[in-house]
Amino acid sequence: MISASLYIIVCSTKNRIRRRLRRLREPRYLVGAIVGVAYMYFSFFARMRGARASIASGRRRSGRPPELPAFFVQAGGSLVALGLFALAALSWLLPFNSSMLEFSDAETDFLFTAPVSRRALLVHRLMRAQLGVIFTSLVTALVFPTARPNPVAWVVAVWVMLTTVRVYFTGVTLARGRLLLGDASVRPVAWAPVAVALAAVAIVGQSLVRTLVREQPSALGPAITAVHDALSSGAAAWVLWPFVAVSRPLFAQGGRPFAAAIAVALVVLTSLFAWVLHSDEALQEAAADAAARRAARGRARDKPAARARATGLTLAPVGRPEFVFFWKNAVQMVRATTGVALLRYAVALTVIAVAASAAISSATQARGLAMTLCSLAIGVAGFSVVLGPQIVRTDLRSDLRHLDLLKAWPVASAAVMRGEMLAPGIALTGVAWLALTCAAILSAAGFPALSLSWRLSIAAAAVVIAPSLVFAQLLIQNAAAVLFPAWVPLGNERPRGVDALGQRLILLGGVLLSVALMMLPGTVAGGVIWFAFQRWVGPPILLPAALVCLSLVVLEILVCTELLAPLYERLDVLAVERAD
Amino acid sequence: MPVTVEHLRRVYGSFAAVDDLSFEVAAGEIVGLIGPNGAGKTTTLRSLAGILRPTSGRIRIDGHDLAADPLEAKRRLAFMPDEPRLFEYLTVEEHLRLVARLYSVPDFEGRARGLIEELELKGKEQSLPDELSRGMRQKVVIACGLVRNATTLLFDEPLTGLDPIGIRRMRETIIARARGGAAVLLSSHLLHLVEEICSRVIIMAGGKKVADGTFAELASRADLAAAGSNLEQIFMRVTGHD
Repeated sequence: MISASLYIIVCSTKNRIRRRLRRLREPRYLVGAIVGVAYMYFSFFARMRGARASIASGRRRSGRPPELPAFFVQAGGSLVALGLFALAALSWLLPFNSSMLEFSDAETDFLFTAPVSRRALLVHRLMRAQLGVIFTSLVTALVFPTARPNPVAWVVAVWVMLTTVRVYFTGVTLARGRLLLGDASVRPVAWAPVAVALAAVAIVGQSLVRTLVREQPSALGPAITAVHDALSSGAAAWVLWPFVAVSRPLFAQGGRPFAAAIAVALVVLTSLFAWVLHSDEALQEAAADAAARRAARGRARDKPAARARATGLTLAPVGRPEFVFFWKNAVQMVRATTGVALLRYAVALTVIAVAASAAISSATQARGLAMTLCSLAIGVAGFSVVLGPQIVRTDLRSDLRHLDLLKAWPVASAAVMRGEMLAPGIALTGVAWLALTCAAILSAAGFPALSLSWRLSIAAAAVVIAPSLVFAQLLIQNAAAVLFPAWVPLGNERPRGVDALGQRLILLGGVLLSVALMMLPGTVAGGVIWFAFQRWVGPPILLPAALVCLSLVVLEILVCTELLAPLYERLDVLAVERAD
Repeated sequence: MPVTVEHLRRVYGSFAAVDDLSFEVAAGEIVGLIGPNGAGKTTTLRSLAGILRPTSGRIRIDGHDLAADPLEAKRRLAFMPDEPRLFEYLTVEEHLRLVARLYSVPDFEGRARGLIEELELKGKEQSLPDELSRGMRQKVVIACGLVRNATTLLFDEPLTGLDPIGIRRMRETIIARARGGAAVLLSSHLLHLVEEICSRVIIMAGGKKVADGTFAELASRADLAAAGSNLEQIFMRVTGHD
């Protein structure tokens, strides 16, 4: 079976690389690859070289090789071990399952039906997982170039640790499966790891609590030292020994200590693997569950789960065709928006709001809840206007999947282009207006140095400018979908590879540049009005200047959608539906 | 003539999927488009539906050139693809309403109700596509195609995914629409279906039309006379598989 596994892995990898290289014949992939490689070089490799140079200069200055801080060398292993232990304990409680039991459809059809033992299937899956683990280990060496002077040792240490974690999770998933098996003779044995895990948590928890209560550390340094002391003596040390053994290679200094540490870590890994192989009774059930989860994830990636909930939006029997698209996309937005999706944006919004709050408070020296809320509102408005059009893709970008349907409809192409942008544009503008209104109401607290006239004028101008920025970006994004359909990811799909990364960077750069160019005439016209009249009118002149800017952007959008119409008509479905 | 195709050619790179194809479909006629895999049937139907742009040639629907006057041509067309691609977030009823608005269907409510009954979609009006079986989704696509008064109906494998009752209903529906004056072009691998409901057959192979006529005309052709009298035998002979 091992030779068959190797054959599958080698052939699949070879063909994947060959296909990636073959697609470089297409200019868009080639250009994407060049940009992607340049980005990788400047982001990681150049940084790594810089870090090396810094280490070398430190060595020259001090006359000895730089070392990790003593505190880190002493307590680092214990802390990582504690983290791994917590993860291991939680894995029994949380309903996460190992991806190691996810077999591809082809593997299920070919290998599960073949005369191959369950253990051999597990070995095969572990072997196949190695490419990903090794890649992740390499990436960590690139991302943290100063982690160790010897990057090879770092990669090996991370590889052993990640493989051990994966094998352990596989064991936990299989053990959970065994608990659910009908075979009464298996169930008592299956409970044994659960009992061991619970006992281990009790021992480590008690040791930690006792030490921390006794020492009562007042600062972070002593606290970490106390934790280290608690974990490196008594029963807790025995319990944590496998976790310490797995994490120790990360911190081992010098060649011989590293070799010794890695040997011990490999012993732990081998023991765990033996446990996993011994728990193979539940493989089929666990693999079937994993396949169902994978299928569900695939469906969710293509189209998040939705409920046919009432939207309150009714399509009138007659009217302009643009509103058909508005209705369709608005219904989609309402039904596709889930709590999880909102939470994802809420996290990003919070980060932006905190940053904006800190910036405003440091600039204006204002304090208080009102100022924080004002900052939060400004953060929300900025997020909606600047990042919103890139995130909310309920327009032609998501409808490229339905292009064959759209093209069969008797609707003018310019109307399709305009209609597709309406729902996301109106939604984002609505959010921005709401946030700007809140910011305006709270602006006295946020910007105490500004007069009421200034604050109201700025708020009114921002309300006018917000839709122009939103719709300008949406136009560019939708134009990109028409001009370069193959560059636009469909739905939630994201192509992989350095060339795909480069493509995304080029697209982002192109969009930003185009939006800047599109806003230029309006900005210049608004600027002229401002400079011509602000001396006499004062801050309120901002509003007419913004209105002129908005008018020019609207005009540009109307002209551009008409210009894009013939390109949409020529847009070939096959440019989107790329043959495999 | 509801459908007129003249010298249609569609190439993908250097490969001609459809080459110099010409035919007509008259009102009330059901024409079967058959051929082996890769013969160019789906490309032909998708070109007729306005989804693919022909590399060259001309397509007219009710006299409206699909390239020069696409909106008028598309208003008269209904294309039912083999793979039911629906909007994930619209219910069955909302799909019908959407199509009714796009094609300005005057008596939408009544027509939709009738179709929902006819295609056995009753009780599924408020379901999203994900909540339906493949056969049900196929029925929704067909309902969307039939809710308007199209003069030309294009079916690509219309029976895929349908149960035996659905197949029988679908057959009756197609015949009823043709009797009502619609021109029907139907692509299928089910030769017995084609033989049963089509009045004429176009056989394609390698992107070209290799035979066109009624069963009697094909059976009487000198080069096919020896093949036999049923469509399967004629098909095998024409496509060189006998």
